[in-house]
Amino acid sequence: MTAWLAGTWRRSSTWVIVGPFAIVLAFPFYWALTTTFKHDLDLYNQKSIPYTYNDASGHAHWDFWNYMTFHHVSFLFKHTEYPTWLLNTAIVGVAVVAITLVLALPAGYALARLSGAWGQMAGVGIFLVYLVPPTLLFLPLSRLIAELNLQDTLWAMILVYPSFTVPFATWLLMGFFKTIPQELEDAALVDGCSRLKALWRIVFPVSVPGILTVVIFAFSLCVNEFIYAFTFTSSTSERTISAGVPNELIRGDVFFWQSLMAAVLIPSIPLALLYNSFLDRFIKGFTGGAFR
Amino acid sequence: MAKDGDELEVVSSGLSREDLLKRGAAGAFAVSMFGGLAERAHAFAGPMKFKGRQLKGDLSILQWAHFVPAYDQWLDSTYIKQWGEKNDVQVKVDHINNALLPSAAAAEVAAQKGHDMVQFLFPPSALEKSTLPMNDIVQEVTKKLGKMTDVAYRSTYNPKTKRYFGFPDNYVPDPIQYRKSMWFNVGIAPNTWENVRKAAPLLKKAGHPVGLGMSNELDSNMFLMSLLYCYGSSLQDANGNPAINNKGTIAALNLMKDIYQNGMSDEVFAWTAASNNQAFLAGRLSMAVNAISIARSAEDSGNTALSDDTWLRPIPKGSTRALGNEHVMGIYFIWRFAQNKEAAKQYIVDQQLGYRNHFLQSKFYNFPAWTNAVKGGFKAMNKLAAADKHKPLGKYTILTTIAQRYTTNVGYPGFANAAIGDIFNQSLIPQMFAQVAQGKMTAAAAAASYQSQFKTIFAKWKGQGLL
Repeated sequence: MTAWLAGTWRRSSTWVIVGPFAIVLAFPFYWALTTTFKHDLDLYNQKSIPYTYNDASGHAHWDFWNYMTFHHVSFLFKHTEYPTWLLNTAIVGVAVVAITLVLALPAGYALARLSGAWGQMAGVGIFLVYLVPPTLLFLPLSRLIAELNLQDTLWAMILVYPSFTVPFATWLLMGFFKTIPQELEDAALVDGCSRLKALWRIVFPVSVPGILTVVIFAFSLCVNEFIYAFTFTSSTSERTISAGVPNELIRGDVFFWQSLMAAVLIPSIPLALLYNSFLDRFIKGFTGGAFR
Repeated sequence: MAKDGDELEVVSSGLSREDLLKRGAAGAFAVSMFGGLAERAHAFAGPMKFKGRQLKGDLSILQWAHFVPAYDQWLDSTYIKQWGEKNDVQVKVDHINNALLPSAAAAEVAAQKGHDMVQFLFPPSALEKSTLPMNDIVQEVTKKLGKMTDVAYRSTYNPKTKRYFGFPDNYVPDPIQYRKSMWFNVGIAPNTWENVRKAAPLLKKAGHPVGLGMSNELDSNMFLMSLLYCYGSSLQDANGNPAINNKGTIAALNLMKDIYQNGMSDEVFAWTAASNNQAFLAGRLSMAVNAISIARSAEDSGNTALSDDTWLRPIPKGSTRALGNEHVMGIYFIWRFAQNKEAAKQYIVDQQLGYRNHFLQSKFYNFPAWTNAVKGGFKAMNKLAAADKHKPLGKYTILTTIAQRYTTNVGYPGFANAAIGDIFNQSLIPQMFAQVAQGKMTAAAAAASYQSQFKTIFAKWKGQGLL
């Protein structure tokens, strides 16, 4: 009985602490979801209850489906190039993640294992590059992109985004590699592996949490990035979500709120699910090396 | 466009090794990652061209995403296609959020590459050195349509360099939009600023304050400059000298302080360009100074009670006059580095010469820079506006009156020069009003202080030879 009480107490206290956080964090999703399907009349009516669907007089109804509209989602898909922006975002994200891994994995490993005290300093130096704001860099980089004739193509972003994903990923992986016991590699070397083979067969497989963290984080950065995406592309068909949505759903002083909400909700759901699926590994990836 | 008998072929000439490698890598990536998406992979390989077509036959334009989506749809899918076919030019219009136009233009200047021409919504006077003079096409259009409106002339001409740094395409009248029933209930008409001052506390008490922004954004900038004109003040005199330190400015500052303290709330200091629209559409505001996007959005929302009760009228009269800035001024400019300057000029001229459809498709938002660009001038525009079916019937006819008698340029009574543009971009006027309204400065001290700041700004641009 005492054990049952203790278990119940532990579970309920967890919910008491976690519950409010969960509500606060889930609220933007709920808000976006409800707004997406609102009629203009409901959205702008001060008498309406904003958390549900209301009639023209502002009265909420349980049969909310009768007071919803798909018009704004339809507008998003039929009258803008939203599906193209989604695809462009995926292309850029996948390419940048691939480039980031190719560069950051060996760099992070080298800095963690091979460079001694200089490795730490170089790691910090690389991380500092990540802190240079795009608002300062977009003008000189525009020049570079123009020189390379990459303006208004996805390649502009594929080329530039690694400039901020690689430093962060290298720094993160460097910390993570330090948590992997040196003895594992030594054993592999003694057994006849080359350093590259040891890296490939021993180090990388046990570094999956760190690598996953880099994948998710680099992809999120690509999805969220605005300034470069906006500066380097101007054709509707070459835009990613972050540049396309504010450009075509904010028209002068008129915001197309419902379509805007739908546009941000759609990509954020899979991203949120991805984060949740790998949450434990993600935490491991971020905290790896924190105590060394 | 292609002539009859032209064949489709892939343009293969001029493919450098660098291009080949780039496209090869792109194609390989696209095919490997998205093998099923043939169209996508094809897009990387480069577009199909008509035989004999040269790149110089393309024209690219950057302009704002119009608040009427149907206007952009018509422009992109009908107008530019027809114009392109007629002139054998492939036209592409990219639309962006108007707030992002300056940074997009800055990036294109930095790269010395980009669109052939850009349409700004305020006079881009500071960009004069990067743009082509438009004197020739202004003269061409003037020969055909007669004199352009004064607001257009003073927004695009630089008397110092004797250049039109941009081509005036359109301007947007800036009426006040007010809730007829609410003003009727307080028994006051919004025809003078004194009346607005009297009504503001009563309307706030009724739960429907007036909405006059004092924030770093376009609407506040435009409205507050207009208020200065109404009280006999202005940012500069007719000769282009700073002229803010006067009794009119002090009177306007004190008026806004009163209206804010008795009839508004702190939110007006943090407004964006959309804030007055949204508050009006929510039924909260009883008055806003804005282009007709508010009234049109009310109609589109299906809220007939609100839209029928939304009336338009010219800017209220101050102690001196009733005069307001245009809400936005559509100005095309062509970059010096543009690839197709001739086509750009021809496009601009042709668009102005046949503006009737632009006026109609924009729902009377865009007024042509040359009144006769709509055949019959203001009379014809008035007739078109009168045919609008929304209630109160004929509500949009007031726009032609506002355009004719109550609209002027940013920089009145002088020209919209680079110094005025700088003051506008820094939102110094809203800041001056906000500081007085919040009690941080007296009206007299603010007028003197900003006069001093203006002198520095004017001197800077004089030093650059633009004033």
